[in-house]
Amino acid sequence: MQLLKTLSLLSCIAVILISCGPASEPPSKADEYLTDAAAVQRGRSIFVGTCAGYCHRLTPEVVDAVYLFDCEWKHGGSDQAIFNTVTNGVPNTRMIGFGTNFPEGEDDLWKVIAFLKSNRAACS
Amino acid sequence: MRSIHRSILKSLLLVLISAAFLWSCSPAEQQSSSMPDVPEMSESANTFNGDDVAEALVISTTHWLNERDIGDGEGPVSSEMLTEPQTASAGRNWLQYGGDYSNNRHSPIEQLSVENIDRLSFEWGFPSGTLGQFAVSPIVYDGIMYLTTSYNRLIALDARTGEMYWRYDHQQPEDLRLCCGPANRGASIHGDKIFMATLDARLLAFDRFSGEKLWDSEIIEYFRGFSATSAPLIVKDLALIGVGGGEFGVRGFFDAYNINTGEREWRHYTVPAEGEPGYETWSGNSYETGGAPAWTIGTYDAELNLVYWTTGNPAPDWNGDARLGDNLFSDSVLAINPDTGERVWYYQFTPHDVWDYDGNSHLFQAELDQDGENIKALVQANRNGFFYAINRENGEFIRATSYMEQLNWADSMEPSGRPVVNPEALPSEEPTMRICPGALGGMNGSVAGSLNPDLGLAFIPVIESCQLMQKGLSMFVEGQMFTGGLPIPVDGVPDEIGDVAAYGHISAVNYNTGDIAWRYYDPQPMMAGTLSTAGGLVFTGSQTGHALGLDAETGDVVWRKRLGGGVRSQPIAYELDGDAYVAIASGNFQGIAAFAGADISIPEGGQLYVFKIDN
Repeated sequence: MQLLKTLSLLSCIAVILISCGPASEPPSKADEYLTDAAAVQRGRSIFVGTCAGYCHRLTPEVVDAVYLFDCEWKHGGSDQAIFNTVTNGVPNTRMIGFGTNFPEGEDDLWKVIAFLKSNRAACS
Repeated sequence: MRSIHRSILKSLLLVLISAAFLWSCSPAEQQSSSMPDVPEMSESANTFNGDDVAEALVISTTHWLNERDIGDGEGPVSSEMLTEPQTASAGRNWLQYGGDYSNNRHSPIEQLSVENIDRLSFEWGFPSGTLGQFAVSPIVYDGIMYLTTSYNRLIALDARTGEMYWRYDHQQPEDLRLCCGPANRGASIHGDKIFMATLDARLLAFDRFSGEKLWDSEIIEYFRGFSATSAPLIVKDLALIGVGGGEFGVRGFFDAYNINTGEREWRHYTVPAEGEPGYETWSGNSYETGGAPAWTIGTYDAELNLVYWTTGNPAPDWNGDARLGDNLFSDSVLAINPDTGERVWYYQFTPHDVWDYDGNSHLFQAELDQDGENIKALVQANRNGFFYAINRENGEFIRATSYMEQLNWADSMEPSGRPVVNPEALPSEEPTMRICPGALGGMNGSVAGSLNPDLGLAFIPVIESCQLMQKGLSMFVEGQMFTGGLPIPVDGVPDEIGDVAAYGHISAVNYNTGDIAWRYYDPQPMMAGTLSTAGGLVFTGSQTGHALGLDAETGDVVWRKRLGGGVRSQPIAYELDGDAYVAIASGNFQGIAAFAGADISIPEGGQLYVFKIDN
């Protein structure tokens, strides 16, 4: 019986460690743009013109919107989670979903995410 | 067998715990669990009984009413009383945001003088209970002070003692569309009603004795990018109020509401519709998201029967590529017939603005002496750094001179009043130039100036904080920010360009000439309003948390008290029983303080201070 208890405990710990460890997210379209300087630049330009005005600043400043270049995410930090948050918004906040309004469609949003990734702090 | 069952149960328990842990680690679940509940919009009303404080303390409510007989019996406020200049006879009260319709914020109380200032001492205080900038200009009438706080608390107080009579806490949605903090700059009064505009773009009326809400009108759906932070301007039987939203690509406007019914009488859009005059100054369909908000209070000349209202930046702020043209009627002053809401004339301060130089700074009515000729003028320290004089009868440009020390976005001013833009001082994708003034301007519309007609001086709180301005691609989504770029604070940031520190000053501008008579310098940008007195004082506050009294003729500091929080309010003066009072609120909003390059180490939290000179 002791063996059964020990095995159960170890399996639980293993599952917890796997689930809470660094996410092994599948490659996204943003990854494809990471090596495309023009794409990252377009993502940067959209971020500067659309996200950074009074909300998500380029440097960590005292504002009431989260800083997006660290490793802390309120609504999921995977590429797909970021994509979903930007597209759908966050209810009861002033983060309105951008839907399909990007000038060049989803590609533009993946380029914004590529810009975020290319400037993100190294996360341990 | 029993021990086996126990072990299996334990194992199952562990698995359940693990599952729960897994659930909590799921990003998707984090999202849903972190969603705040929609706030309850219901409000309860309880009668506040000063004799039963214990009961009041335990009741959780948003609205305390008053049943006591309060006030000094001065009667309702008439339109004639609002039209009367703030002379010695009327000056014991503070009836309007600007003191009176001139907007000069010049108290006739002579005992508020350099000679008496040492006798000005603390009398009473009152907390706002809220964070964010405590930006209020209180009004005082009939021995009662009406105070608004950030997040729209409206409070009636005994102006002699600070005792609370009634209180209303407006319940706000959590997704307010604010660019710049939860400010409210004051209430208005007419008859026996008090009026307050709200961050969720409503206009409310209250009984001034009981605090009972009389009507509640939606100005517009806030979630489309709108808000209202100003005190309404009362003209005849109308309450005029404009909206904020220039950073959201709204179509700006200001409205007139019937003060008795709350019904809208007219709306004046600040961006023309297709085919209307000025439409041709917007390329493509950019007029549809043109901005030009009307977020500050106007002023009224009863003799000319003209209301003067200012407008803010065209949207998007820092990228004008998609809105080529002058972008009328952004960054302008409009003269309006209050009976119809129709425009009589306009003057545009900053054509095709790409710096966020709202034209919404405080407007003064002044009588100009120009070569012996008396001219009815509007004077204004515009956010773009120029001090303007405009003929208020016809809108003719008279003069514009810099009231700043570092203005560099324009090289000069054409005789017509059109600025000559410095071609290097434009937002770019890789900015390197400190553009002055920064996006908050030289004088920001969120604070009031004052003007002493006896000295011919206007007292202007000035922000000397330049910024880089970065341009990006803008994309309009209703309710979202639509800025086209951002300003980057560099002054006061170590190792940034030039290592220049942000600072501030009160500039005394001779409004007849545009010359600077004196400057009081402060190590932080000046972001509180000023108050002038007939006794020759200027009151203001600093970002380091001090209330200041200056000699109006020299700028020398003659009185200084530490209030604690950074000061963003508009000081006022009133007189009761022969005693002179000065009210000034402290409490900052760190987001804007940081933006200006000011100190952000002082905590937020509002407190009103009232000082008094005993007669």
